[in-house]
Amino acid sequence: MDFATLKAKGLVRTAMAPPAVRAEFPFGLGEPGLHEIAESAYGDRAAATGFLLAAIGQGVCGAWVWVRQTSIVLDTGEVPEAALPGLSSRLRLTVQVRTAQAGLWAAEEAVVSGAANLVIAEVEQSDFTSSRRLTLASTRHGVPVVLVLPYSCEGATAAASRWRLASRPSAPNRHDPHAPGHPRWRAVIERCRAAPSATGQAFDLEWNDETLSLSVVSGLAAGPAAPPAAADENRFRLQAG
Amino acid sequence: MAANASARAVGIEPGLRLTDAKATLPDLLSEEIDRAADLKALTGLAAWMVRFSPLVALDGEDGLMMETTGCDHLFGGEAALVAGMSRRLVQAGHGHRIAMAGTPGAAHALARGTGLGEPPVLPSGREAEGLAHLPMATLRLSPEALTLLRRFGLTRIGQLYEIDRKALTRRFRSRQAADAVCLRLDQALGRRAEPFAPLRPPPEHVECLPCPEPLTSTEGIGDGLQQLTERLCSALAVQGLGAQGFMFSAFRSDGAASAVTVNAARPVRTPDHVLRLFREKISRIDAGFGIDLLMLEASRTGPMAPGSRPLSGDLAGTGFDAEAVSGLADRITARLGEGSVILTVRDARHPPDKAERQVAYAGQVPEVEAAPILGPRPVRMLNRPEQVSVMAQVPDGPPLQFVWRRRLRKVVRADGPERIAPEWWTYLPPAPGERGRLPRTRDYYRIEDSDGRRYWVFREGLYGDDRGMDPEWFVQGLFA
Repeated sequence: MDFATLKAKGLVRTAMAPPAVRAEFPFGLGEPGLHEIAESAYGDRAAATGFLLAAIGQGVCGAWVWVRQTSIVLDTGEVPEAALPGLSSRLRLTVQVRTAQAGLWAAEEAVVSGAANLVIAEVEQSDFTSSRRLTLASTRHGVPVVLVLPYSCEGATAAASRWRLASRPSAPNRHDPHAPGHPRWRAVIERCRAAPSATGQAFDLEWNDETLSLSVVSGLAAGPAAPPAAADENRFRLQAG
Repeated sequence: MAANASARAVGIEPGLRLTDAKATLPDLLSEEIDRAADLKALTGLAAWMVRFSPLVALDGEDGLMMETTGCDHLFGGEAALVAGMSRRLVQAGHGHRIAMAGTPGAAHALARGTGLGEPPVLPSGREAEGLAHLPMATLRLSPEALTLLRRFGLTRIGQLYEIDRKALTRRFRSRQAADAVCLRLDQALGRRAEPFAPLRPPPEHVECLPCPEPLTSTEGIGDGLQQLTERLCSALAVQGLGAQGFMFSAFRSDGAASAVTVNAARPVRTPDHVLRLFREKISRIDAGFGIDLLMLEASRTGPMAPGSRPLSGDLAGTGFDAEAVSGLADRITARLGEGSVILTVRDARHPPDKAERQVAYAGQVPEVEAAPILGPRPVRMLNRPEQVSVMAQVPDGPPLQFVWRRRLRKVVRADGPERIAPEWWTYLPPAPGERGRLPRTRDYYRIEDSDGRRYWVFREGLYGDDRGMDPEWFVQGLFA
């Protein structure tokens, strides 16, 4: 049995730390295992994609396999290269599929092939059997798999976690009060195998694309931007007066 | 009109009019000639004849021409090849006339001119002698030329040998008609070359597996394919080659053949990989009443760089294991169809909807110089910009309200514009008198609505730019 076969069977892989799942944010997202990110309402796919790229996209280079179902691309468009981090040392293979079943098959094939360092699948639906298969393949081969699912996705899953993402009004923009600032999302962890007690916990997240940091903002700061413009004008008047 | 043997027996010859034929035999059965179906059947038979020689061409509407040079020793000589071919055609239920000769013209004449007995084999160089007694109609001449020659009393090919060419040419109405007769005669006698156009290019490497007992089960076909693949891959390895195209053909004993092809993005010669690609498609082979020959062909061969694979993708110089990626792409393409695996290539162009294009993965990762990204870019780009109706707007600013996908969205915050000029050098002015769309400047705004969703919208055109109607608004993408 040659080395390539051993590698393809998942018996050999390069040294990496055993997947220790931490019971804290992000609950193993981006580590080997299957994770699901779902929209919380129609139209939140951009938030789900942004959260996915922010949470795990920065650390993974090499080959990405991005499986996408045609109906989703027609509805909410595709993720351009310009939006992906790490342009130089990365190859993204896009697999266009017609049905969710074909998409899940392609994702599993990508995991097993040993070619991909990260597998992302955007499919309309997933079932328990498929998610179990993907979980087994992912942990055995050490490749993270993320399913991006629509808002209609409910029900049982074998995934390590399922996140529900919603857009929130963006952070105040320090330079221009009328302009949108850093994006903010509300991420609710619906299912979590590593820390069942965390189920239902909600995180108000802010993504800073300059410092590449994902931070949790307090409920107060996450409120709508205050109108500082008027206050500033008054202050100027007071000083002038 | 065409006629079969039993019609000819009562005096109905091809070329007769249908009314005359009906007068001869009132209860005559007749059908419209279906040339398309004939051609399909003939092409199917040609695919099956590949088992004797890879070079098979269509000859007119009712014949096949095969180049068997170098193939006859595999069947025990030319006579044995022709006899075996004839026997198999009879088994498959095809009436046929068959002949072998040194030139295509001679073979054509011999096949049509001799009776249905033992298939004749004319040795190369003796065409003149062999064709002399055959009727003129077998020489592939036009009906007008045949009529003229018959009027001169020339009905056998041999009668043309002695005639002075100049005298013959003068008898014809045009020089072209006379030249056509001389050309066909020269081609039949091997004095002038005749091009041969096979239906498909000959394969570069072939392995065959004859089956003593006809195969009917999928398992048997799979085993045969495995043997063939191992033999073909070791033959390729001896020459240091890999192949990108593989075609597996199964020849049935009843005169039909079915074939499946798989393609690889870069040359391969690993039997396991080729077998995996075939696994999805092998069920498409129809075994019918039994398959008696399996054939595997390799095409588009190329040298394979010897070298060792990286231990892991992240240890490779490029950041990924190119061979594993290629193998994965092959397997997905074999199952989901061509064009399923896509690479996104960035182009050095400014319009955001043209800055990236998608190409089918073909083994190589193209290096393209990309334009620097100037402004913020959305996380999702719509396939094509979607027009929105703007409710309230100011001439040089973002919209205050707009309807996209039938929902009213109130703009709370906006940023912009990022002005992107059109590619005027790709623009073709409309013809005089016609009105075309002039390229217009786009102003892109990043906006956020009251639900907290962020969009990338643009206004195509400016107010008062004299380039058509009022500006229009589009949604280009969605920000995270």
